[in-house]
Amino acid sequence: MALDSSDQGAVMVPVPARDVLLLAGEKEQAGQLAEAERLLGYLLSVTPNLPDALHLSGVVAFRLGRPAEALDKMERAISLAVDPSLYLRNICEVYRVMGRLDDALAAAERAAALRPSDPVCLHNLAVVHNERLEPEQAIAVAERALLMAPDLAGAHFAMAESLLILGRMERGWAEYEWRFRVPSGQNSMPKTGKPDWDGSAFSDAHLLLVADQGFGDVIQFARYIPWVAERCPNYAIACAAELVPVLRQLAPAERLFQRWEQCPSFRMICALSGLPRLHGTRLETIPAAVPYLRAEPARVAAWRERLDRLAPPGLARVGIVWAGRPTHANDRRRSVTLGQFAPVAAVPGVALVSLQKGPPTSQAGGYFGRAPLINIGAEVQDYDDTMALLECLDLVLTVDTSVAHLAAAMGKPVWIMLAYAPDWRWLLDRSDSPWYPTVRLFRQSVHSHWNDVFARVAAALRDWVAARR
Amino acid sequence: MNAPLIQSPLQPCPCGSGLRAARCCALNVAALPPAESTRHLVPLVERAIQAHRQGASDVAERLCLDVLELAPDRPGALSVLFQIRKDQGNHIAAEALLRRIVGLDPNNFQATNELVLLLMAKGAIPEAEIHARNAVRIAPQVPQAHNLMGMIMTEAQRPQIGEFHYRKVIELSGTRDPILLANLAWNLKNQGRMEEARDLYKESVAAAPEIRQTLLGWARLEEADRKFDAATDLLDRMDQLWPNDPGVLLTRAVLLGRMKRTDEALAVLDRLAALDSEGRLGPNELAEKGRLLDQMGRYDEAFAAFEEGKRLVRDLSGNVYLDEVAANLVERLGGFFIAGRLATLPRATVRTDVAQPIFVLGFPRSGTTLVEQTLSAHPKIVAGDELPLINDITNLMPRMLNSPLGYPEALAELWMGDQHEGLDNLRDYYLQKVRQMGILTPEAAWFTDKMPLNEMHLGLIALLFPQSPLVHVIRHPLDVMVSAISNHFTHGLFCASALETAATHYVRIMALVQKYRAEMALRYLPVRYEDMVEDQEATVRSILDFIGLPFDGACLAFHENQRYARTASYAQVTEKLYDRSRFRYRNYRRHLEPVIPILQPMIERLGYTID
Repeated sequence: MALDSSDQGAVMVPVPARDVLLLAGEKEQAGQLAEAERLLGYLLSVTPNLPDALHLSGVVAFRLGRPAEALDKMERAISLAVDPSLYLRNICEVYRVMGRLDDALAAAERAAALRPSDPVCLHNLAVVHNERLEPEQAIAVAERALLMAPDLAGAHFAMAESLLILGRMERGWAEYEWRFRVPSGQNSMPKTGKPDWDGSAFSDAHLLLVADQGFGDVIQFARYIPWVAERCPNYAIACAAELVPVLRQLAPAERLFQRWEQCPSFRMICALSGLPRLHGTRLETIPAAVPYLRAEPARVAAWRERLDRLAPPGLARVGIVWAGRPTHANDRRRSVTLGQFAPVAAVPGVALVSLQKGPPTSQAGGYFGRAPLINIGAEVQDYDDTMALLECLDLVLTVDTSVAHLAAAMGKPVWIMLAYAPDWRWLLDRSDSPWYPTVRLFRQSVHSHWNDVFARVAAALRDWVAARR
Repeated sequence: MNAPLIQSPLQPCPCGSGLRAARCCALNVAALPPAESTRHLVPLVERAIQAHRQGASDVAERLCLDVLELAPDRPGALSVLFQIRKDQGNHIAAEALLRRIVGLDPNNFQATNELVLLLMAKGAIPEAEIHARNAVRIAPQVPQAHNLMGMIMTEAQRPQIGEFHYRKVIELSGTRDPILLANLAWNLKNQGRMEEARDLYKESVAAAPEIRQTLLGWARLEEADRKFDAATDLLDRMDQLWPNDPGVLLTRAVLLGRMKRTDEALAVLDRLAALDSEGRLGPNELAEKGRLLDQMGRYDEAFAAFEEGKRLVRDLSGNVYLDEVAANLVERLGGFFIAGRLATLPRATVRTDVAQPIFVLGFPRSGTTLVEQTLSAHPKIVAGDELPLINDITNLMPRMLNSPLGYPEALAELWMGDQHEGLDNLRDYYLQKVRQMGILTPEAAWFTDKMPLNEMHLGLIALLFPQSPLVHVIRHPLDVMVSAISNHFTHGLFCASALETAATHYVRIMALVQKYRAEMALRYLPVRYEDMVEDQEATVRSILDFIGLPFDGACLAFHENQRYARTASYAQVTEKLYDRSRFRYRNYRRHLEPVIPILQPMIERLGYTID
């Protein structure tokens, strides 16, 4: 066979299975998944029960977005292998992504027992504990991993998430700094060579703030900008164009920059998401003076007129968002479908106003609930529009997405539906948020199950409608 | 149009006129000689007219053919030849000749009159309307011109305009012709004005007691008005005068069916079949027979009758689903109405000085009549019935916006400085036509427009009436199919001419609606027919909430609503809501098998199951 498809017309010669496997492994590492798959397909056609080939083929299938096939192959590899510890270490991640958390835990624990000196096994175990909302166990496991490998960024990050969700913020913020060293965070800050800001005051040079991470984070941490301005009056902010309507309200527009090359030269740099640490924020000292965002009155008037035409009079106007940005790492857990709002749609006296943007908007076409749905999101151009619309609504029901932060930062009543293991910022158990006084949280009580969340939201909505009358 | 195919200009014309094609359907009008140069033929034409008048049609025909070979545009010769071919029953040639006469001389009233009658007889109503309007332009003081408009507009389901012209006939002629009165009565019956219609029938029959069409129309009025005894009496009387008349027998069968005497009704239809030389029924009779068999639970036979009826309609009318037209339009609409473009298009402003439309949308036979009847029982809502106006606007729009493009692309003109208020003009066109129809009452804040499949134009409607409620009636797609097969309708580009094409069109339109809803902010409420049956009050309350009106108990007793719905559903909406209409498809599971693969994804998306 020809080993590399670039060698078109190469002579077919028998190649030892081990070499094919190694080559497939190299291709997989290099991200050439199709090529790896081709090689493994050949290999498995010759030796269908070779555990390493099955396992690697499973890894490739997983990375290509076919977790069911991945599980099947990896489970077969485990059953055939003499030493399945590596496979167990990897399969736990597949189980986790598929929501089979008991299987994930069992595999991760077995892997950790079989490979007691492999810190990656403990890291994976910590990640599984976090997903199972077991932060204390996650911390314990991550500590053990870090004893073996003090620079294992993933373990630090898992530790940070656990500490922060427990409200243990001082150490949590410190560990949170490792977020830029895990693979997915490595590109969120520019490589400038300039030192990171330590929170000290200076006024003879610029400080560059970077609106890093998701839009929701930026909206949440924008509250620290006035605190920065007190220390470094000469600051500039690098941000995406979409965020200008938000940041303009906390910083003069001329300090906002959308391109790196336009930013003024600066002495120090700081990620917006690093400000809570520098501020020394603890649970008791979270700055939560809402509203710190407001809608433009002229836009509010225009949207109110538009909404008055579309929404039946007399019905409460309830904004909804059912999905976040699909590229978000956690989107699978936080997003729902519009169809899952059915119990909410059955509550009399409300009109649903969709603020949804992006591809999930198409679900509005297939909505047949009883409450009218106004797909106003189709007309929304930017956050200025969204804020103006939020001002016209009586309540917002949303999954954990940027609109939740926007409404909360405006001091509007907003109910957020959270996954079983939510983002650390929503903490544990409580139904309120020290970050946002007008937020009410509805948490999954069973992993991946939204039905009872929506049943509780619908019941609360009924009470809310009754109380308005 | 069945214009014959042109073959060789030297061959006899395929239309059968007897002329060569080059002198007939392949005539090059631009190459005709001037009229003066053929004036010496006039005596021949006069001889032909004379011969025809004296019954020597062979001679007349020969003379006409000779004249027309030399001067194919001689009007007298064309008229005589037309008469001869018409009398011979050669409809294709007669139509071709008549069209040529009107084409060459648009001011020829007699020919225009003939053409309108001919087009009406073959059911080409939109084309007939064009010529009828021309007749009024040619001869505004001639009663017959208005009579044509009266007949066409009544037939075209715009009875208010028809009434205007019928009344003009009475005014111009200064007489009360009994046939005209009967026509006006039928028109009023279609407007639900039963008492006035009944009085006119009485007057007409008193003056001319034995006109078949008059008595039949009256009988059907009484049937529609649930005066079954009166209808029976009239039909009995007609039986005496015209035993075994097919029209009488069908009306009798419908009447017996409504009186729940299904066995007798079926027997009447069997008698009707026996009268035919081949023992067969026509499309309407077959549909009625199917419905009777359905009521009796004889589903296999019912379905066979429905299918046979559909086949017959296809054969007789030549109408089949305009598949490519539909596919093309749906694709263009979906491609035009996208969020990015809509953000740049203006919306019409909202008029507050006149009643505003509520659009009741849905596939034909999905429950739109029921919803309209329910809503129009509310004191603030009047029923507008099936208004053809949105469709008219899609045709008029390119002209009104002065666009070289068609619909919907012509909306691009709204970006021009001189057209950016164009939507207001289109909106006013619609509202003005509604006012002319006499639908509105002083206390009405809303009127309904329940033209089925208006949802195809949801994007346009939302631009024209950004504040109007869009009530979309949803029903189990397989139940919609059962209704589509058991009724004849032409909506939806003749999709109901066969079961498969009805299903195809259904899926196309529903997918388009979903696209509109995903791309636009609409004041849209889906209403399930099944919910209406199961929990009528909650459903009615939610619709009225949506419109922004207080609940009114009258809406629940819609069957007491005196208004008569003209459409095929009238017999059902005068009964209390009944459960038999839900999931009727289960009786036809096997027969619907061919369309289940087409509909399955949509059935699931709508939240229905097949069981």
